[in-house]
Amino acid sequence: MNAVTPMKTWKTPILRLFFFALGAIPPLQNDLKNLSFIHFARWVIVRRTQFPVLSETQPREQLKYDYLIFFSNFNGTWNQYIDAFSAVLARGLNVIWRWSEKFPGSRPVTGFKRYITLVQFDTDYYYNAYPRAATNDVKAALRVHDALRDFARSSQQISPAEFDTAWRQLLVRVQPDLGSTGVAPVGT
Amino acid sequence: MSNTNGQIYGLTILSPIVQDHVLDISHAIELRQYLATLPQDHTSPFSILDSTHMARLVVMDDVVYVGAPACEEHLKSRYLVFETNFDGDLDTYLSRMAAEIGDVVDSVWKHCVGYPGVTDTGAFIAYMKRCQIDTTFFFADVNDHTVKENLKALQVQSALAHFIAHHQGLPPAELQRAFGQLLCSLDKAPLPPPGGLPSEKTPAEDRPHE
Repeated sequence: MNAVTPMKTWKTPILRLFFFALGAIPPLQNDLKNLSFIHFARWVIVRRTQFPVLSETQPREQLKYDYLIFFSNFNGTWNQYIDAFSAVLARGLNVIWRWSEKFPGSRPVTGFKRYITLVQFDTDYYYNAYPRAATNDVKAALRVHDALRDFARSSQQISPAEFDTAWRQLLVRVQPDLGSTGVAPVGT
Repeated sequence: MSNTNGQIYGLTILSPIVQDHVLDISHAIELRQYLATLPQDHTSPFSILDSTHMARLVVMDDVVYVGAPACEEHLKSRYLVFETNFDGDLDTYLSRMAAEIGDVVDSVWKHCVGYPGVTDTGAFIAYMKRCQIDTTFFFADVNDHTVKENLKALQVQSALAHFIAHHQGLPPAELQRAFGQLLCSLDKAPLPPPGGLPSEKTPAEDRPHE
């Protein structure tokens, strides 16, 4: 998902300050982390004079606004994503986008969706190294990998009876993380 | 500025697209047509550039007018937006782009103003850095594992689930022996290709619960 919103230039330092705090105080990211369906997301403030100029013949942008560009790599459907954002992160989203022109707030969700629909632009090419794995799948797989490595190390020289007991303990440890990966369901 | 989060680098590039009013088909349209032909699975150029977690290429036509009382304004150029999330440092990644997928890079960026080509790697890196916009805030949920580590973990998870499902109720000694064989086969197994296989070709053993 990509979205671009205009911001009055005097507002961008305030937003930068908020993002600085968000980066410097990791617990502020807990809601974003706990949603656990965003692999990567980024907010990029492009100052009105910052659009790259690569040649003297290229016309220079003459803009009144700075722009906030948002990119997100998430699992699931657009509606699930926006609904979850609105339900779980309403306060955080408002702090980020309230500086953008005509942002209606992330609740109620109808106005929020209308705004996102207006400001988003489509992706022409998208690549994902592990397209069948949601964020939770990746995290679960890493836990399983760690558990299996520990078990392999500790079970090298044990008797079959001891192995049987340790194996059952391993199963208890990994069973919440053994869901299969696959193509995401088609959303509506 | 936070272009990195843990060991992941988040690169954002805005390259102005050439405007030539004499052409029948504009550079922006030709670029979009080319991007539509690029494969997204393990045959993707970004699968060769195997430190790439996720990447996108977007033709940004204009900024958005959100309605009165905001001012309406427009960009004078279209921009190619390249957003990528990868392991390691920027110079290594850009050098690999030039060396390993140079033909694709040429086919994409030849539509952009001032693109020097990939023959001179230094010039290419300098060009990309001129187009780079620093990320203001970068979020990476898993920021301490490489693409290869994630792919290996997913392979291990799938193999272990398959093993458990097919070895229930075995006597301990037999189970222990079979587990040893599982570890050997996992050690020898090649990594799944980044980008994934097309769905119709996914081997059944990789879909143990379907």
